[in-house]
Amino acid sequence: MEKVAIIGIGITPFKARYLDKTYFELAYDATKLALEDANKQGAEITHKDLESTVYGIYNELFERQFMPDIFINSYIGMNNKPGTRIATGGATGGYTVRMAYAEVASGLSDLCLCLGVEKCNDCYDVQTGTTTPEVLNAIAYSADMTYEYPMGMMAASSYVSMVNAHFEEFGSPTEEQMALVSVKNHGNAISNPKAQSPMKITVEDVMNSRIICYPFKMLDCCLYSEASAALILANEEKVKELKVENPIWISGVGAANTDCFIGNREDMGRLYSNIYAAKVAYKMAGLDYDKIKEQIDVAELHDAFSGQEVISYEELGFVPFGEGGKWIEEGGPMIDGELPCCPCGGLIGCGHAVGATGIMSTGEAALQLRGDAGKHQVIIEKGRGLAHSIGGPGAAYAAIIIMENEEAR
Amino acid sequence: MEFQAHQIKDILKIDYRYTMGGQSKFFIELMNNKKLLGTKCTKCGKIWMPPRINCSECYEPAEWVEMKQTGTIDVSTIVWYTTSAFIKAIPYGIGFIRLDGADTAMLQGIFSESLIPSKVKKGKKVRAVFQKEREGKMTDFFFVPEDEYESWIIKSEYEGGSE
Repeated sequence: MEKVAIIGIGITPFKARYLDKTYFELAYDATKLALEDANKQGAEITHKDLESTVYGIYNELFERQFMPDIFINSYIGMNNKPGTRIATGGATGGYTVRMAYAEVASGLSDLCLCLGVEKCNDCYDVQTGTTTPEVLNAIAYSADMTYEYPMGMMAASSYVSMVNAHFEEFGSPTEEQMALVSVKNHGNAISNPKAQSPMKITVEDVMNSRIICYPFKMLDCCLYSEASAALILANEEKVKELKVENPIWISGVGAANTDCFIGNREDMGRLYSNIYAAKVAYKMAGLDYDKIKEQIDVAELHDAFSGQEVISYEELGFVPFGEGGKWIEEGGPMIDGELPCCPCGGLIGCGHAVGATGIMSTGEAALQLRGDAGKHQVIIEKGRGLAHSIGGPGAAYAAIIIMENEEAR
Repeated sequence: MEFQAHQIKDILKIDYRYTMGGQSKFFIELMNNKKLLGTKCTKCGKIWMPPRINCSECYEPAEWVEMKQTGTIDVSTIVWYTTSAFIKAIPYGIGFIRLDGADTAMLQGIFSESLIPSKVKKGKKVRAVFQKEREGKMTDFFFVPEDEYESWIIKSEYEGGSE
């Protein structure tokens, strides 16, 4: 397989709603930003040099358009080249990076565009005169339509089932430990000019916010967002040919789908997809599941809901099972902690523009490794970072991307 | 010049006559006879509930078996904010119920006179209650704490199962 590097990163601001941009216009913006970034790194390329695109777009009902990728393909000037769409719920971004990696690693393309976009808040609930219930309804069709959708299953109740089962088994995460994730990620977002929800808040503020789905409160949940994110991937020969100064190499990709029916799982309180995806990605990168916390500098996790971030610390091997809550109490995942998690603010701080999110997380981790993260830059000593995406019914899909800056090691 | 946004009103709507295929018997027995049917793998004996007519592990057929209408809550939550389709129903309890004898758990509504977390918690025994008017859909039944069963089946719109 060819070595694959991220040579360009483009992320638009994450906003509640863009009245001035369609989904394809947002996708164009991120593509342009990624090309500009690649050129800043020394490449001299335009969209005409890109050989293929892998699109990450989750939900047709958001975009009010089936096969939205082909309309983006036209708008970004990629006609007569291959384009493939990935849709794996909240994990769409991570899975899209994995497939764009495969496009280049396999030798099919030397330069590939990895492009995610989502525009959800055109959905509008007439009964309440607000957007969110209709956005949630468009998402709820991702639940099994035969047995589970009719019961009123939605994203929060699906994640809360796993968190509650984990609490029953380990006595953690407590509501206060979950609140710490919200305080951390809203706080980290203050330094990220692209984030939708920067906020200086306390554990008390989280505990006092309105109940959504017991025990998740409003501030435990990410907001749905509109944004686009793009990466330009290149093989080693192309990196040399273009004289790219700061390539961030993708050294490991892992993905797994666990049973989408939570009721079929042996352990409801953990996501085996996370565990398997992490083990595959770490092995490919030559890293150890048991020592991963000491081997990477930064982790951009999928914190759609605060409690799942705590459980992910355990599933991804940062700490033993049952100790995630204690780890955040001790400050481990804080921006100045042992292993900073979601320094950009994650989904809770930035917002969740589903198809774009995992590509943003990957791009953010790559910017950290390049030393270009701006005010939320963390210390890079080992030269390695991780991006994590999960989603779908029962958060069945998981993808992990490991990146390296060889110069920084 | 200042940007002026333009929006249009729209709705996507598709009518279906959705077939339940091999799972049809589950919905017919639920509707006509207030029975809850699971399936049992002819090779490994695993009992699937909700049912599937093929065992996903053995790749062998699974046969219909009548399930008990009592079970235990594996995990649950109470929903206070939700999708446009369900927002009129809040707050509501849902959880994964393991029917006695089943190897898997099914998602169902958990109704309770006092909808508090301790009443709909893991380990709580529950029993199925049926709508009097049934259409062969998952919403034809729900679960209540076993100690509330008698008070639910005397309500005019509900009735007990035919177990």
